[in-house]
Amino acid sequence: MGSPERAVPALALTFALLAGCGDRPRATRADAADAGRDQPWFIDAAPQSGLIFTHFNGMSGDFYYPEIMPPGVALFDYDNDGDLDVFIVQGRMLGDKPLGAAMFPPRDPSSLRGRLFRNDLEIHADGTRTLHFTDVTELSGIDARGYGMGAAVGDFDNDGCADLYVTNLGSNQLFRNNCDGTFTDVTKASGTAGSGWSVSAAFVDFDRDGRLDLFVGHYLNYRVTENIQCFGMAGGPDYCPPHVYTAQPSRLYRNNGNGTFTDVTAAAGMAGEFGPALGVATADFNGDGWIDIYVANDGQPNQLWINQRNGTFKNAALLAGAALSADGEAKSSMGVDAGDFDNDGDEDLFITELTGQGVDLYVNNGSGVFEEQSARTGLRLASLPSTGFGTAWLDVDNDGWLDLLTVNGAVTQNVGAVARHETFSLQQRKQLFRNTGQGRFEEVTERAGAVFRQADVSRGAAFGDIDNDGDIDVVVGTASGPLRLFVNNVGQRKHWIGLRLVGQQTRRDMLGARVAIVRSDGVTVWRRSRSDGSYASANDPRVLAGLGDSSTPPTVRVLWPDGRAEQWRGVAIDRYTTLQQGSGTATERAGR
Amino acid sequence: MSGRATPIALLALSLSCGGSREPMPPGRHALRPVALPDLSRASESVARQLRDAHVSLTRTLAEVSRTDAELGRAYGQMAMLLMAAEYRDEAEACFLDAQGLAPDEVRWPYYLGHLYKARGETLKSAAAFAQALRLQPDDPPTLVWLANAYLDQGRPEAAEPLLNKVLAQQPRSAVALFGLGRAALARSDYRGAVQRLEQALSLAPQAALIQYPLALAYRGAGDLDKAEAHMRQRGPGELRPPDPLMLELDRLLESAVAYEVRGAKALDDRDWKAAAASFRKGIELAPNEPSLHHKLGTALFMSGDARGASEQFEAALRLSPTFAKAHYSLGVIMGASGRPREAIQHLSAAVRDDPTYAEARLRLGDVLRRSGRAAESLPLYEQAETLDPRTADAPLGYALALVTLRRYQDARARLIAAMDGHPDYAVFAHTLVRLLAAAPDDRVRDGRAAMTLMQQLLAKEPQTPEIDEVMAMTLAELGQYGEAITRQREAMAAAERAGRPDRARQMAANLALYERHLPCRTPWTDEDALMPW
Repeated sequence: MGSPERAVPALALTFALLAGCGDRPRATRADAADAGRDQPWFIDAAPQSGLIFTHFNGMSGDFYYPEIMPPGVALFDYDNDGDLDVFIVQGRMLGDKPLGAAMFPPRDPSSLRGRLFRNDLEIHADGTRTLHFTDVTELSGIDARGYGMGAAVGDFDNDGCADLYVTNLGSNQLFRNNCDGTFTDVTKASGTAGSGWSVSAAFVDFDRDGRLDLFVGHYLNYRVTENIQCFGMAGGPDYCPPHVYTAQPSRLYRNNGNGTFTDVTAAAGMAGEFGPALGVATADFNGDGWIDIYVANDGQPNQLWINQRNGTFKNAALLAGAALSADGEAKSSMGVDAGDFDNDGDEDLFITELTGQGVDLYVNNGSGVFEEQSARTGLRLASLPSTGFGTAWLDVDNDGWLDLLTVNGAVTQNVGAVARHETFSLQQRKQLFRNTGQGRFEEVTERAGAVFRQADVSRGAAFGDIDNDGDIDVVVGTASGPLRLFVNNVGQRKHWIGLRLVGQQTRRDMLGARVAIVRSDGVTVWRRSRSDGSYASANDPRVLAGLGDSSTPPTVRVLWPDGRAEQWRGVAIDRYTTLQQGSGTATERAGR
Repeated sequence: MSGRATPIALLALSLSCGGSREPMPPGRHALRPVALPDLSRASESVARQLRDAHVSLTRTLAEVSRTDAELGRAYGQMAMLLMAAEYRDEAEACFLDAQGLAPDEVRWPYYLGHLYKARGETLKSAAAFAQALRLQPDDPPTLVWLANAYLDQGRPEAAEPLLNKVLAQQPRSAVALFGLGRAALARSDYRGAVQRLEQALSLAPQAALIQYPLALAYRGAGDLDKAEAHMRQRGPGELRPPDPLMLELDRLLESAVAYEVRGAKALDDRDWKAAAASFRKGIELAPNEPSLHHKLGTALFMSGDARGASEQFEAALRLSPTFAKAHYSLGVIMGASGRPREAIQHLSAAVRDDPTYAEARLRLGDVLRRSGRAAESLPLYEQAETLDPRTADAPLGYALALVTLRRYQDARARLIAAMDGHPDYAVFAHTLVRLLAAAPDDRVRDGRAAMTLMQQLLAKEPQTPEIDEVMAMTLAELGQYGEAITRQREAMAAAERAGRPDRARQMAANLALYERHLPCRTPWTDEDALMPW
């Protein structure tokens, strides 16, 4: 670990791939599969595209717990030019040791702050793409110099420009997007600084007032000066497990609409139950049209906060079967995502776990009652050797079925590797699981590309269509390592539909809006606009759904977060379409 | 990263134990020399153990007269130690060599099964356990572990015959029944799961971890009431088969951490003596480790040796003067032994050294309140509640402090808010009823509200002397003295029967009031009875 970055010039990367013009014959499912066997599904385009960043976790041999937790990443279109930009948090030294005592000192100590990379995507007339990123941190005014953990994105002031919330060890920061390429730190004024240690956060309009509120997952009561020394069985020092510290209560902030937020955690009924929160996903889990909040806690029961529709929540996780493993074990629960993997119209949950614990797949029965089925679906076996962090449901090959991608990295040292003098020996490979469409998953990591076989200490992962070619790409944050950009090579071989769902009064992304895409073959695929989920990261809020071989423009029905529903017929495929609330045909909020 | 060139490291070059991951064919010529990993990061005691074992193995290897079985044993012993110290790659290679030399020895595939399990390599784990089973077909722990591996693979139908085999040998095996219950759940056979898990629970009622899957089974079967009831009783823990081989391995390592882990396990099992013994051994190896002293103190305290416990907590503090938990523990002991000044001193230190220590703030608040310093306790209760809103003790303590300060209206408001925030904690209702029935402040008393609450409590809880006493207060407040007298007498009689004559004597004062048709105006005669230290 800590391998030096190769000095690759920041060349623009030109793709010889065709984008959604629709004028070339689409590969069949079999063709795509065959092609996939020969060609990597993902390639790492970070260095060539200028996305050059190495995370610094400040490790100096003292095994400070926070060293193993970040970094999270964010994908969001900060400049509203139609493509996704990248933000990643940065670390700093912990404790009293000077920078020179760091095991892997940063090349440029003055650059130790969270960084914003602007995507200067060019789509040429022939459909080829040039991906190029420019570090615009200085220009942006984002001054995030704390010990960064993760990021959440949402337009909290409804001005049409996505804002950024950075979680830290210490106070968090809220950066308001000024819509001119710059941001202003409005943390103090907003009242969302918090304190302590936060990891994942999510913007969510829980009270249907049209304004995005903010849920912040807090982790542990921890102070660097009181860092506890832990040891492995052989007596060598190692990182501690979470139970040596106590959990910190998470926070729910209600947006007051005037640039300020009010901490309504207690008023919302959420103060009495909490754990060391790592992953957060918001979705309507019980199908009543109101957004709920799922919190994955490290070593303690998870919470499923069901929206009571009156400003309060009730934790239904235990009886819903989503708090613990099937055996009643409180697992480590790092990354989480909600998605309809079985196309039955409800939101299922997937959670990444520690080596030996196996992932969790909580299958929703439609009313917010879950059954854990990771073993039955084939996920458990392949996941047992890994410690997973960032993750998401994504239709990698656009066949209409949601697949799973996990980025992995251990949290305690491989003693044998330490004996071989491998520092920070936590590296693990990433994994890709393809949904067979028959209630099972097959691991296809070997086909996914060399980038998946590269072992990293992966943490945050943000998912989105970075090159706007109709398939989901991934940006991965590596603890004490390079930022990775995995560009998807296969999804655009199938038909797809891309939707940006924006509000009526404001053009902000309507996070939480659910979409039913009714294909010509009668199959309805449900997706959701969301930026939360994964681990400490923020995703592309656009909806991208694979249509497989279906080439007929489908009917799209949107269930807006405020409870209204609209429909559009014949929505164009193989391109992105913006659907503004109020511009469709009002319809009943039928089905899921 | 390049390694430092130490003699041991040089030996390690390309000469790891076995080297390959396939079982070695029989024959010494196929074996490779054994080398140790770099032990510079291991504790001295572990390094010594591994070096000694390595010397022993090397000597055995050099003796050509040794049989394959003896050599296999030597490799196996080395492997066990490496596995206990978590050098799993090296251990694997040694086990494979041992297995190659002694293919009929069940231990080596058995340990390999566990090693692969620890690495999450389920298929390999299952293969190794299957091999062990071929050598020892009816071994219950092997059957259970292989069944678990099949469950991990989503193959409950393969797991069940193995667990049934265990049951055939050991009809009262809670572990096998638990496994069968899990298998039934995996097949969505909820009624079958209920049956098996209920059986497991009846055999191991203390195994709280059975409650959760049982709750899910009832839920699946449509019985939500039972599901909720079992959900409330769920708890952590493990249900493992008696496993002598793993016990042997777990006891192998001579490291302070290993003893600390063993001790912690014993604490979980409430085996205070075993816990203390383990911690003492750990202290022998690491005498300057404050957490070991603290844990030993905890074990001694739980076994009733408060003096011994204090000595250990003090030892921890000598080693680490800002060790908040040690201060807390001493504060608890001082408070329990009627030394509030020392208790306050230590609890204050705990709070100072760890400002996030909610429990320490809570306890300090309690001691201050009981020592006549109730006003000073208020901010501590508030801070404890802010740090951990889950705990009901903080708002309760705050309310009691208000009562002590005769701020009855504020106390009532606090208790009403606390009932909303902690609906599952009946103690708030109990406390509020007393206030409503008997507070000296006319503005606070409300006999009807007290009676409404009483009836809610009676609907949920069994009759106790305390309930009868409070009911009597309420009846008296409503002017129903005849019934109040009856209830108070019942309470006194019940207290006598429960072996608490002192309590009965305390209640006599109120009885006298009711007999004179006077209501009670002292909600508590001894608040310690309500909030035991």
